[in-house]
Amino acid sequence: MKYALLVYEDESQFDPDKAGPHLRELVGKHMAFTQELGARRIGGAGLKGTSTATTVRTKGGKKTMHDGPFAEAREQLGGFYLVDVASLDEAIEIAKRVPLAKDGAIEVRPVMGP
Amino acid sequence: MSGAALERVFRAASGRIIAVLAARYRSLALAEDAFSEACVRALRAWPETGVPDDPAAWLYRSASRVVLDALRQHSVRERHSIPEPPPEPSVEDVLADDSMVIPDERLRLIFICCHPAVAQDARAALTLRLVCGLTMTEIARAFLIEETALAQRLVRAKRKIAEAGVSFELPPPEFWPQRLESVLSTLEIAYSRAHEDASGTAARSHFAAEVLHLTHLLVELLPAERDAFAVAALVRYSEARRPARVDAEGFMVPLSEQDPRLWDRMRIGEADALLARAGNLGPATARLLQAQLQRAWCARDSLGEPPPWPEVLRLYDRLLDLRDDPFVRINRAVALAQVSGPEVALQELERLDREKLEDFAPYHAVRADLSARAGRSQQARQAYEAVLSLEPPPAEERWIRRRLAALEDDTVKS
Repeated sequence: MKYALLVYEDESQFDPDKAGPHLRELVGKHMAFTQELGARRIGGAGLKGTSTATTVRTKGGKKTMHDGPFAEAREQLGGFYLVDVASLDEAIEIAKRVPLAKDGAIEVRPVMGP
Repeated sequence: MSGAALERVFRAASGRIIAVLAARYRSLALAEDAFSEACVRALRAWPETGVPDDPAAWLYRSASRVVLDALRQHSVRERHSIPEPPPEPSVEDVLADDSMVIPDERLRLIFICCHPAVAQDARAALTLRLVCGLTMTEIARAFLIEETALAQRLVRAKRKIAEAGVSFELPPPEFWPQRLESVLSTLEIAYSRAHEDASGTAARSHFAAEVLHLTHLLVELLPAERDAFAVAALVRYSEARRPARVDAEGFMVPLSEQDPRLWDRMRIGEADALLARAGNLGPATARLLQAQLQRAWCARDSLGEPPPWPEVLRLYDRLLDLRDDPFVRINRAVALAQVSGPEVALQELERLDREKLEDFAPYHAVRADLSARAGRSQQARQAYEAVLSLEPPPAEERWIRRRLAALEDDTVKS
């Protein structure tokens, strides 16, 4: 089964624009983790900060656009992994090992379709 | 065979059969539907053919056929159009009857129902429904919720299991400690529900029997897990005392005032044996200490013997090292009051975060009792009122009202 592991972290702990040594260290960990996952990782990416986000919203058939993420929250979606594994248990085991700078949450979501 | 007898046959067979089908075909809903359909067919066939020698085997074969037919049609929803199976068993069926062994996949089923990815409030209900075969009405009554709400909760849980890809394989042993934790806490929640009401109405005591049965099954299936033995012992000690928990007039009887001669000695013996096994399997755990606390009480032979307060306090001290939470601290305070006096124990309670415990009845009940013993009637009265505002079970409510009345009398006299 395929799962998306959505990584939520408080991005304010990184320098503005999600750069700096703090983030570089974390990116290094993600690269090592990606290597370790091997063929089980079938996709994924890190995302730039929510200050770079633009949200297009549809309401009553009308499209509006605004600067910023779709919702303000304490922790923001910072990246995701797409993995192909045997079961939810295996996806959860991977989720437990996803590198985080500090506190955070990994949402494990099965992907639709085959 | 009477309707009630048939129902017993169905219930006894349900867990094993649903477990095998679910394990084999990777679907709880399909397994459950197929078993129900097999029961319907049995009710139709058995009055004519007579009840088979091995009713479970008949149900198993019939349910398997339902699953296969449904799968062949590629749609479970069309199950109503499934052609009737031949009413007569085939030659193979007859030959297979006596040697028929239904593989025991119930552990797998328990692990699936109690998976941590399933909402906590659905795990116990799902386990009781699928593994024990309790009816929706029985479970709804035990959990004090509407049947429709329960049905929705179970549908959601089964959908989550199917859609999120919860594994139908038994997890490898290295994952057991963590998964077993979820299974055991589910059983503990289920039992505390059954135990809550001291008077143990019929629905609830039956439900307690099912939890006892499940814990027995668990130690049989996991003979190296000491916490499984500890929980099995714990629920037996508690259950053994059921006959003494309420007096003839329907008042709750506190543990230290229960007449040990009313306790079920056989059950206590069973619990002792289970606890001994747990003790041999490794160092103390919080659950092991809790079972030992129960044993300390159940070792009492008569009201003439002094209550085991010093030992109880020692065990709570050890438990506190492993599990420091308000529940342990409150219970420890009860023993402390007996050993060192109510004032010391009240001081201990003062240190707890009162705001967080506002809705926790045992906190107010213990505070009330200790305050009364320390001669602080006003404080005791307020605490008893706080318990009553949380709507305790009937036997406890009557007991508290009597204590309140006694407090009033004291005040009038003094």
